[in-house]
This record gives sequence, structure tokens and C-alpha cells, in this order.
Amino acid sequence: MNAAPRPTTAPDEEAVLSDITGMLTRLLEDEYGLDDVEIGMTTTFNRDLELESIDLVTLAGLLEERYGKRVNLAEFLADMDFDEIIELTVGRLVEYVVNGLKATEANATEAPATEAAG
Amino acid sequence: MAMVDTGQLRLHVQRMGPRDDRPATATVVLVHGLLTDSLASYYFTVAPSFAAAGLDVVMYDLRGHGRSGRPASGYTLDDSVDDLEALLDRLAVTGPVHLVGNSYGGTIAFGYAARRPERAASVSLVESQPATAGWARTMDGVLRQVLHELAHNETEALAWISSNRSRNTARLARGAARLARETTLAQDIPASRVLTEEQIRAVRCPVLGLYGGDSELALLVPWLRALLPDCRTVVLPGHEHSVLVEAAAAVGGHVLTHIQQTATAETDSGTEAGTKTEAEAVTG
Repeated sequence: MNAAPRPTTAPDEEAVLSDITGMLTRLLEDEYGLDDVEIGMTTTFNRDLELESIDLVTLAGLLEERYGKRVNLAEFLADMDFDEIIELTVGRLVEYVVNGLKATEANATEAPATEAAG
Repeated sequence: MAMVDTGQLRLHVQRMGPRDDRPATATVVLVHGLLTDSLASYYFTVAPSFAAAGLDVVMYDLRGHGRSGRPASGYTLDDSVDDLEALLDRLAVTGPVHLVGNSYGGTIAFGYAARRPERAASVSLVESQPATAGWARTMDGVLRQVLHELAHNETEALAWISSNRSRNTARLARGAARLARETTLAQDIPASRVLTEEQIRAVRCPVLGLYGGDSELALLVPWLRALLPDCRTVVLPGHEHSVLVEAAAAVGGHVLTHIQQTATAETDSGTEAGTKTEAEAVTG
């Protein structure tokens, strides 16, 4: 298992983008044997990465493993309509994650993020 | 990613539950459809709201689909009901469950309810029907068509889909083509053992049938209502076969209401599901 150190303060956009890029790179290699895909904030999951919805289920698991239940991709996407999901960019997901972690940090008075990784 | 070994193959399972570790009020099992489908059709649509409503939600990829194992053969309806039965045993889900199935997934869900009536609290069929001789003929026609297109015109067919529908649909079609080519699915499903009218009638738990108004399957409504002892039907106008994904909120709402009403009826009667249905048998 990847024992990435758990952030003690909410990570910024750059750090989250780096995390998510790592997850997508791993997924694309594991499932499709691709190892040369460029990923940035404007990359779309559907058109650019050609991910199938079952790949997003895997990504949801990786996000929860990394950030805990604060980041819930299923709920995030369930609130969108089909066209929004088709147009979804990496940047929009990064923004959702950063905001979710900030909100948790603001709420957490003394409990640091210590839940065990899945 | 959770993989469960049934002894036959590995099935990909996802589970969602109520937040804050509240105990779940009941278990609902969601079964997806054929070829282009996977548990993702539930995961990003109705599953989060079911979990938020207090249900323990179990989703899995059918054999050959999504991230589950893909044996070369063994794709009859009975094989898939066996998988569901083994999966719930492995997960130690032994009490009655609410079954929800989309398209072929509903045929599997109903098959499970017919085989294990004591374990079925309710069934929701979304654009789906119990396995009958007519169902097998329809599946045979559809799957023959798919195989024919793939065998003879795959490149052209995919190019047509790409330019007339979307790249997304073409990608899904490519996946379906692989599944049909690599396995005996298209031969096995039409050759499945089907249910007799008596076996269908013997499913006494509450059944919800939900159809798109523009789908041919909506024509089944009178037949289903006449046959099943406890059946409600809902037709959503303006939708076709993919009503689950197109109108997820409406479908989810109807299914959740069906599940909650079933639970309330059981509590009111103060008896177990099995004995309650005995008392109502005369209306069959």
C-alpha cells in the first residue's frame, strides 16, 4: 500500500492536483496499459481520458483511501446531470476536494485527520 | 476495490451505508443490466440517496461486466442467480433483502426472489420482467442482432455509432463487443431455463414495475399486474429503456418509497414477511 503521509492541514490546489494526477496515471496504466497521458486542470475525464463510469468508481475508492470519507465522489457526481458529468474536468474535481478538506479543517477543533486509510 | 470470491469467480462489490455509522434499516441489492452496463449506473445515481435514507446498499458487477471476473462460459440466468446467491452468502447478508434490478438485472433479481422467497423483502423491476419464454425469444433476437453486427460489420457499426451517437456510446459498444466475442453470453442467455406462470405467481413479496412510457416493455404492465399477487406499476412518460440513468431522481424516489412502504407494512402486521404473505394468498 502507498503510505503517503496524511496531511495535517488542508492541502492546496497544487498538492491535490498532484495526488489526483497520480491516481489517474495509475488507473490508466492498470486498466488500459497507458503510460504517457498528460493530465492538467483542464483535462476532461470523458473526452480526453476516455474513462468509463466504472473507472470513476475506482477513482472514488482511491480518493476515499487518500482523504477519508470527507471526499465523496459518488455524492458529488450524483448531484450533476449527464451533460455536466460528460464535461467534468480534473480541475473541477480538484476544486471540490480542496473545498471539502477546507470545510472539514474548519469544523475540526481538535481531532486531526487520523482515520485509517481504507 | 472490494473483490468477493464466490468459489466460482471474483465479483467486484461496492457498498454504501448511512453516514455517521448509524445502523442501516434494511439492505438493498442493486443489479445492473447487460453488455454496456456496470454497477456504476447505480453508484453515481440512486445509491448515494438510498444510503442517505438509511439503507445498507450492496452493488456488484455481474460476471463478465465491469471489474468482475470474465469466465469464457456460464452466462445463463441460473448462473447469474447462483452468483447473487453466493455473493450474499459470502457477505453474510442472510436476512430478507430488497432487490432492485435494471433491465436484465431485474430478471436476475426476480429469479433470486423466485428461488429464495424467504430472502426477498421486495423486488423493484426497472425496465425489466421475469424470465418467460417470450423474454427468452426477445433476448435471442436482440443478442443475435448484436452478434451479427459484430461478426460482419464491427468496424462500420462502430464508426456509425461514433458519428451518429457519441464517442462515449462507441466506447461502450466496443466493450460490449469484447464481452460478446470472448464469452458464450449471447448463446447462453436465450438458452436460460425460464419461469413458469406458477413460479412467477409464487413471488408474493411486493413487486414494483417501473417503465419508460416510450419503451415497449411498458406493454407488460397489465400482464404483470394480473399475474403477481402484490404488484404496483409506474410508467414515466417521455422515457425509453434507459430511464434509470435519464431520470435517476424519479426512479430512485419511486423505488425508495416502495422499499419504505414494504418495511412499514411488515412492522404494522407485526409478523415476518413469510407469514404475512400466507394470509394474503387468496388474492393471487
